[in-house]
Amino acid sequence: MLRLFGRVWENFKEYIVLVLLLIISLVTLSLNQKPAVKKVRSLAFGSFAAFTSVVSDVINVTGVKSENEKLRRVNAELMLQVSKLRQDGLQNAELKGLLGLKDTTNYPLIPATVISKTQGTITLNIGNSNGVRAGMPVINDQGLVGVVYSTSDNFSIARTLTNLDLKLTVKDERSRIDGVMKWNGSNLVIINVPKTYDVEPGDRIITSDLSSIIPVPLPVGIVLGLSKVETGIFNEVKIRPFVDFIRTEHVFVLGLIENKQKDGLELNFFDRK
Amino acid sequence: MRSDYILSILLFFPVLVIQTTIMPLISINGIVPDLILILLVFYSMKRGQLYGTALGFVYGFLFDLITGSLLGSTMLSKTLAGFVAGYFSNENKRELYFKSYSFALIVLMCSVIDSVVKSFFTTIDLNTSLFNLLFQQGMLPGIYTAVLSIFVIMFYPKRSLS
Repeated sequence: MLRLFGRVWENFKEYIVLVLLLIISLVTLSLNQKPAVKKVRSLAFGSFAAFTSVVSDVINVTGVKSENEKLRRVNAELMLQVSKLRQDGLQNAELKGLLGLKDTTNYPLIPATVISKTQGTITLNIGNSNGVRAGMPVINDQGLVGVVYSTSDNFSIARTLTNLDLKLTVKDERSRIDGVMKWNGSNLVIINVPKTYDVEPGDRIITSDLSSIIPVPLPVGIVLGLSKVETGIFNEVKIRPFVDFIRTEHVFVLGLIENKQKDGLELNFFDRK
Repeated sequence: MRSDYILSILLFFPVLVIQTTIMPLISINGIVPDLILILLVFYSMKRGQLYGTALGFVYGFLFDLITGSLLGSTMLSKTLAGFVAGYFSNENKRELYFKSYSFALIVLMCSVIDSVVKSFFTTIDLNTSLFNLLFQQGMLPGIYTAVLSIFVIMFYPKRSLS
């Protein structure tokens, strides 16, 4: 018997090892959501990100000069806008005061640098110690980049909009129609939009107030077109994101997590028996 | 021999740093060449199929663990890629296989397998067309990686292959 096993192993060892390793890989795929696995991963990427950040800093230094010039120009343009907005802000505050509305526009921004990228994820050089928590939105000057997924003490990983696992509730800014947006492998799309809904190419898409992940309106992209679905009652709306994910280097984490009080209230409402 | 085995694991870390920091800078339309795959194909051809399969598994595990990819996806794709690359580990034909164009073709084949398998788990929606899966997610990264592998193998000292 032992000899038979020995002979089988000798003849097919490559295939036996391959099958075993593939089975282990498939089993591992199902363990992704286990808290223990998440903890080990956050430790691993936290340690490695320290090395990556050094290389990333060196690379970034070379681009600093041209970026500085660009930023100076943007700064001047922003200064002009700020002076105008200040006037509008004062007027707005006065009007809000008259209407008794709450001010909801003060969100803490935590600056971060992207130190490494893979398909659908970015690693940031800030973590728990900077106040970053899983679920916080990541933005840049163009719009929404992604959502923080995992954190260690000094680093964090965020899923970008090009991650297959990230699905967001978004809204057409013009027609106020909500929908679920996801990455389909080659494009950002809003799925299952009834054909009767008013969505047109060129419309701006922002995150929806209904979103349990990002409750504030952040710019996401622009409608490129609607897929021509011959049958059925739904359309698929193709979106071009505002953010260039390949060239994104500097981002901000919006220090904001969906309000627990609101979540609790809604859960209680739906949970009544 | 043993030091070579350890070296193949140790080399993974600097290559991963380059892969995640420098390679995105030379991406074309979001397509990034895979340096780790080139390293895997090289060692699989040099040390045999069994070693290539196991090394692919280890590389995939470390990559998933460190970069935040879906744990298991790169393990699966790199294990398969290492296994396929191991078919070309014939000692008598080593000179032939390590010539730049042959090596690039082997890298292309392994890269397509690696990219397609990984796409199933990470970037592709099941409703996406087969053409998109094979061409956009498989062939394009494969071609880019193969082109890069020509430069890598061109400057590698040939006497180190024996």
